[in-house]
Amino acid sequence: MYTVATGHAYQSTLYTWVGGEAVPYELTFGILLDQLSTLMLVIVSLISFLVHVFSLGYMNDEDEGGLARYYAELGLFSASMLGFVFADNLLMAFMFFELVGLCSYLLIGFWFREAGPPSAAKKAFLVTRFGDYFFLIGVVAVFATFGTAAFGGPGVEESFPHLAELALDGEASVNTFGFAPSTWFTIVGLLVLGGVMGKSAQFPFHTWLPDAMEGPTPVSALIHAATMVAAGVYLVARMYGFYALSPTALGVIAFVGGFTALFAATMGVVKREIKQVLAYSTISQYGYIMLALGGGGYVAGVFHLTTHAVFKALLFLGAGSVIIAMHHNENMWDMGGLKDEMPVTYYAFLSGSLALAGIVPFSGFWSKDEVLFETLIHGLGDSPLLLGAYAMGLLAVFFTGFYTFRMVLLTFHGEPRSDTARDPHGVRWNVKVPLVVLGTLAAVVGVINLTPVHTLVPAVPEFLHDWLFHGPEGLNGEHYEELLHDFAGYTKGYPLGETLTMLASAAVSLGLALAGAGLAVALYRGPEPVEHTDKLGALKTVLFNNYYQDEFQVWLAEGLTARVAGAADTVDVSGIDGVVNFVSSLSLFTGDRLRRVQTGIVSNYAALLTLGLTILLVAFGVMQGWFL
Amino acid sequence: MGVSVAYLVSGVGDPAVELYGGQLVVDGMALFFQVIFTSVTALVALASYDYLEDMRHQAEYYILLLLAATGMSLMAAAGSLAVGFVALELASLPSYGLVAFLKQNRGSVEAGLKYFLVGALSSAVFAYGISLVYAVSGSLLIDAVAESVRNTGLPGVLGVGVLMVLGGFAFKTASVPFHFWAPEAYEGAPAPVSAFISSASKAAGFALAFRVMTVAFPIEGVVGAVDWVLAVQVLAVVTMTLGNFAAATQENVKRMLAYSSVGHAGYVLIGLAALTGTGDGGLVLGAGMIHLLVYGFMNTGAFLFIALAEYWGVGRTFADYNGLARRAPLACVAMTVFMFSLAGLPVGGGFVSKYYLFAGAVNAGVWWLALVGAVNSALSLFYYSRVVKAMWIEEPAEGVDVSSYPSTLYAAVITAAIVTVVLLPALGLFSGFAFDAAAAVLF
Repeated sequence: MYTVATGHAYQSTLYTWVGGEAVPYELTFGILLDQLSTLMLVIVSLISFLVHVFSLGYMNDEDEGGLARYYAELGLFSASMLGFVFADNLLMAFMFFELVGLCSYLLIGFWFREAGPPSAAKKAFLVTRFGDYFFLIGVVAVFATFGTAAFGGPGVEESFPHLAELALDGEASVNTFGFAPSTWFTIVGLLVLGGVMGKSAQFPFHTWLPDAMEGPTPVSALIHAATMVAAGVYLVARMYGFYALSPTALGVIAFVGGFTALFAATMGVVKREIKQVLAYSTISQYGYIMLALGGGGYVAGVFHLTTHAVFKALLFLGAGSVIIAMHHNENMWDMGGLKDEMPVTYYAFLSGSLALAGIVPFSGFWSKDEVLFETLIHGLGDSPLLLGAYAMGLLAVFFTGFYTFRMVLLTFHGEPRSDTARDPHGVRWNVKVPLVVLGTLAAVVGVINLTPVHTLVPAVPEFLHDWLFHGPEGLNGEHYEELLHDFAGYTKGYPLGETLTMLASAAVSLGLALAGAGLAVALYRGPEPVEHTDKLGALKTVLFNNYYQDEFQVWLAEGLTARVAGAADTVDVSGIDGVVNFVSSLSLFTGDRLRRVQTGIVSNYAALLTLGLTILLVAFGVMQGWFL
Repeated sequence: MGVSVAYLVSGVGDPAVELYGGQLVVDGMALFFQVIFTSVTALVALASYDYLEDMRHQAEYYILLLLAATGMSLMAAAGSLAVGFVALELASLPSYGLVAFLKQNRGSVEAGLKYFLVGALSSAVFAYGISLVYAVSGSLLIDAVAESVRNTGLPGVLGVGVLMVLGGFAFKTASVPFHFWAPEAYEGAPAPVSAFISSASKAAGFALAFRVMTVAFPIEGVVGAVDWVLAVQVLAVVTMTLGNFAAATQENVKRMLAYSSVGHAGYVLIGLAALTGTGDGGLVLGAGMIHLLVYGFMNTGAFLFIALAEYWGVGRTFADYNGLARRAPLACVAMTVFMFSLAGLPVGGGFVSKYYLFAGAVNAGVWWLALVGAVNSALSLFYYSRVVKAMWIEEPAEGVDVSSYPSTLYAAVITAAIVTVVLLPALGLFSGFAFDAAAAVLF
């Protein structure tokens, strides 16, 4: 960390497992420590540590079985995630990416004796695997195109983002399989993006994440805040130098992000269970990060990744604490009035909620505001398409404020609506300490990048901005901005002047967030809130069923894929198996004949031997013309 | 064995040491093969200690074994046709005796006699071939032969001679049509002897064949007289196919192994058959040598497992092996390794060596040889896995009692298994020697 903090970076290849003269590609394991990865390492290890502490309260104190398995899987999960962050090339990243996926499968399905978790684990595994399939093809494509999958860093002569940049400038030639370089790079970028969208639960691969709530709550915190879901967007940030070359890929990222943010936020509005609301908010927030990255806001994206990791871990752990108190009942309509019973949880949760909703001065405000601002100014520049994504992101702010405060009000305010809520189960220090730490952080972590304040009062520093802009050559924010400008054609537009535009943007997003929160307060205030969702009519049913996404995917799997597979099976059984069976019966028959040749009579052998030699001699004699 | 490994590693054979005016050549290839012979001999001797317990004539057994091993080592180092012939006889005659070692056992004696008769016939063919070659070239030193057979005026005589010499090798390596002795001899002989003959003796045949065919009759020099590469290609295809097909229908495990041994001779023949002049000759010839090295361990191990089964009084058919894994799991794991490695699955060195062979064949432009080899490999998986299935999956038969665990036999089987597995990653160590040695012989 110190090396990086002083503006240096470190890259080292630890192990070459396929390489040498005869092999065109070197496959290596190495570590790359630069500003981005060290920041991520701090986040991951901090959250992971707090989750481990929290697990003591959630699992041990609740006398859950299989603790050894639980902690082993949790440890492996953290280790894989750290390995992923350390990775200095795409292939290594892919391998740890898969390990992370495996661990999440194991952890989601931790209570494998119940009906729900195994099925949710399978779903998470299959959906992310579907995305990873594209990722794998992307990795192979990167190797085939550039011959290296290194991300770059000091001492790395050839990294694939750099090679791609040179190729677009016409200074290097790479194998683009007959496409124009820019087209091909877009294709490769989108292939890798498939894995990203699967892991980060972006539309249309988001369906696994809400189901993943079947796992233990600390696991949900770890998966949804710091690790697995973050892995996807981290990968985009990691190879941002590559994506920055392709305006199309960036546009897709921005639109997917904006759409996911809005889409998931609307679904979060009607959910009854506290963890479900959080799950949809996670999807939505990662949509924001994608929006930032696609909209040219590299720093903004990483900033939101950081703040989100903190406040979402906080919210999940808070929810975990509530769930302990409620004896594992997650329905918000059974809660209420918990504010007085568990003040520590309440204030921590409130801090996280304010951050999530984006209320000034909590951390989420600063990062979300910067995300939207960056997208807006690039959209007002020469990329008007981004304005569409921006609009969706902006609208989602309103919904975010609404569902967040609906959740807070239903859970903690009003009169208790069930017996368990009247007499909740207490929680111990190992639950409270992580909550306090994260609650404080969620309130203040925005300090690391007070861009709006910095613009007004230059004396206020923007730590994160400076931090990311002083990375190693080719891996820092400054370089990315140049790439965005040169290759993607992103320029900044300030119709009202820089300061005013920024203030206007901040005011609009804050206003929307407050409006959403205010509406929630208006609707669910009072000791006995009632369900207002019925007023939505048919829309409620649609939202409740998550826009029928699950049904659609099941149809895809069963109606379409299963039929194609059935047809393939028929061909296999009748055609290919038939041939195989024929070959095997033919061989057995021939073998049987050959066996009879071995009569056991030695004079037969001698005769056959001589005959064989004679045939050979005669044949060659005729062929080579010895007898002429 | 230690000496030859040390010599091989320290590079004594480079450049080749010539003794007695070129009659003996000690180079990389000779040392490489000597490593194979000595390893197999050591394993067999180790295993025989328990197998021969309470039998008479033990001293004679070991003397015959060592005499044969000496003959084989000489074959690998033979620098002239005459030395090659004498060495071949020195290797063969003790082998006849070893096959018939169980004098009270009809099968053993009969097998020995058949082996001897076919061997005598083959030796006659071989000697006649040598004399024809001598008639053309006027020399028995293989270097000198190579000089004088170029553009000879007597292509017919030379051609017949070369093919007959090839016949002599085919006998030693148990290739079609000189393979008839093999199934009988392997089945009738005591199992350690079967291991010895099928591994070491076969390798010796190939050692001599590789040297004589490539040095004395370089293909670009004799192709006008006799295209022996084509002949070897035919032999390779027929041998592989016949060996594997016949093995597939056997009921007797030892006999199955005997035919599979014929099939493997076919694979190794690819090493000669792919010397078409295009592609990397050293690669494919070296691949043949590597396959023989791996084969030396996995096949010896498989026969020694049979020896173990015979020691226990388990029957000889597949059905008799049912459920054996429950009583002797360790040995059965070893046998499983041998079987899968023989079939070419990546649990042992057999996978890599076969891969080298087929890759070399494709490289040399005879992809159809590799194709036939691959089809045969697939077939071989069928009968190899029958053994595995019998051992692990089938219900055990009644009445067989595995009471004692012969320590040296066990040690030999396990050692062979370990080496087979270790050769999978460690083959890179030997492949360098093999490829260099093969290239040195060729050019």
